[in-house]
Amino acid sequence: MAPTTRTILICSGKGGVGKTTLTANLGIALARLGVNTVVLDADFGLRNLDLLLGLENRIVYTAQEVLAENCRLDQALVKHKQEPNLSLLPAGNPRMLEWLKPEDMQRIATMLAEQFNYVLIDCPAGIEDGFKNAVAAAKEAIVITTPEVSAVRDADRVIGLLNTHGVKPIQLVLNRVRPKMMANQEMLAADDVTDILALPLLGLVLEDEQVIVSTNRGEPLTLSNSKTPAARAYSNIARRLQGEDIPLIDPAKEGLGLRDKMWRLMQTKIF
Amino acid sequence: MEVSDEIQRLTLPWCREAHWWDSLPAKLNQLEPRPTELDCRDWRLGCRDLQQLSELLEKTGVTLTRIHANFRETIVSAAALGYQSYLEPQQGSHTKVTSTDTQPNPNTPPRLLFHEGTLRSGDHLSAEGDVLLLGDVNPGARISAGGDVMVWGRLRGVAHAGQDGDTQAKIVALQLRPLQLRIADAVARGPEDQPQPGLAEEARIEGGTIMIEPARAKTFNS
Ligand SMILES: Nc1ncnc2c1ncn2[C@@H]1O[C@H](COP(=O)(O)OP(=O)(O)OP(=O)(O)O)[C@@H](O)[C@H]1O
Ligand SMILES: [Mg+2]
Repeated sequence: MAPTTRTILICSGKGGVGKTTLTANLGIALARLGVNTVVLDADFGLRNLDLLLGLENRIVYTAQEVLAENCRLDQALVKHKQEPNLSLLPAGNPRMLEWLKPEDMQRIATMLAEQFNYVLIDCPAGIEDGFKNAVAAAKEAIVITTPEVSAVRDADRVIGLLNTHGVKPIQLVLNRVRPKMMANQEMLAADDVTDILALPLLGLVLEDEQVIVSTNRGEPLTLSNSKTPAARAYSNIARRLQGEDIPLIDPAKEGLGLRDKMWRLMQTKIF
Repeated sequence: MEVSDEIQRLTLPWCREAHWWDSLPAKLNQLEPRPTELDCRDWRLGCRDLQQLSELLEKTGVTLTRIHANFRETIVSAAALGYQSYLEPQQGSHTKVTSTDTQPNPNTPPRLLFHEGTLRSGDHLSAEGDVLLLGDVNPGARISAGGDVMVWGRLRGVAHAGQDGDTQAKIVALQLRPLQLRIADAVARGPEDQPQPGLAEEARIEGGTIMIEPARAKTFNS
């Protein structure tokens, strides 16, 4: 029994901004910190959390059988091979959407909360039934967005809905940040985004091609000891959730080549 | 025996009778140290006035719970300080101004709908009379009113004042950078330039088009 379980919804409104990638990487990162974590795939229509975690071929039962009481919860949970502190509860088939109700998701979340310290829920895009079901199960939320006007707009809408459902705290992750574009003002700055959304920034993840490489391999970046910027960002998010005080990166100082860094250093020293 | 949780009332003198501040010492003596509501009558009090008043009351153990007034300016200030505020028409019977109280009634004067909290993308706040929002209107959100739209915050979405055709209606905001403004049937795109810091701005119709300029104190008194 874990009395202080944190049940966190990972959502965005807009599709394709990095919810599933964050859920997978954060799940691994938390597990590596030694906390018992489960990721729940609430995207029944387009499930792919199992794929990202490389667990697709180990699924026997899903949330669907658990709800129908055709299997026990522990039969449906898939333990990660390398990181046994992490389990996945897979989504059932898309037909579940026809009958699934918010109470069903609540039931699952309550069952998971008895065994785990963290329950991370990978939310479907949009604000329709799939979202409403997932929200019902969550206590707190991480809203993820990219620094694009349309993504921020959708995130804002979602935050409004989370507020009406009494979900809190709500924290923000800014994904796919490109320091050069931000510096050239071709992209919203982190300040612009937090100014509108008025949420505390939990993390800032740079655009990083290693994310895509790792996705295809079914091995989240945080699984290896990779020092790539996104990997660092995901583990920092995990540590901040755990209460560690880790300063946010400054996009203006990231992604510069060694020569740029040296040049900057020299400038600050000499002049 | 005294019922201690009954709310006592502190009523300021009418404007023409005496200055409210001068009347306080005598009135304070009669107050007991318990929750008290304040009736400002026809005084137009700013945040600072109300702050001073509440500090003075606090010293004698009196806590202000809510504020009544005949003027919107006072209500705006009271709401900004976080007090429950009630706009009382001068005729007498008072109207509670909360977001739940929205049944139309042609016999009562135009009412003020008061809402606290930021309007986020997709939200729409609409009022029959005037509307006062404590919070921002984010891009993608809408605020509309039969009368004036007043935003104690940043207006970055869409605002429509005088939606039933009142061309005298105004839109006021601490920061007026909306995507679109409408007053009655007139439509304007929001200004592109950066707002002047620290100045509330006001939009109204002049010669058929929507003009924006620094808000005048008169705005709240009309
Ligand atoms: N920081 C990043 N750098 C580069 N690519 C990224 C980053 N984050 C996510 N991506 C890529 O963006 C795509 C979408 O990511 P993901 O599937 O996690 O989004 P999602 O929000 O779950 O989408 P959906 O709404 O469809 O569920 C993937 O191809 C992923 O590899
Ligand atoms: Mg996804």
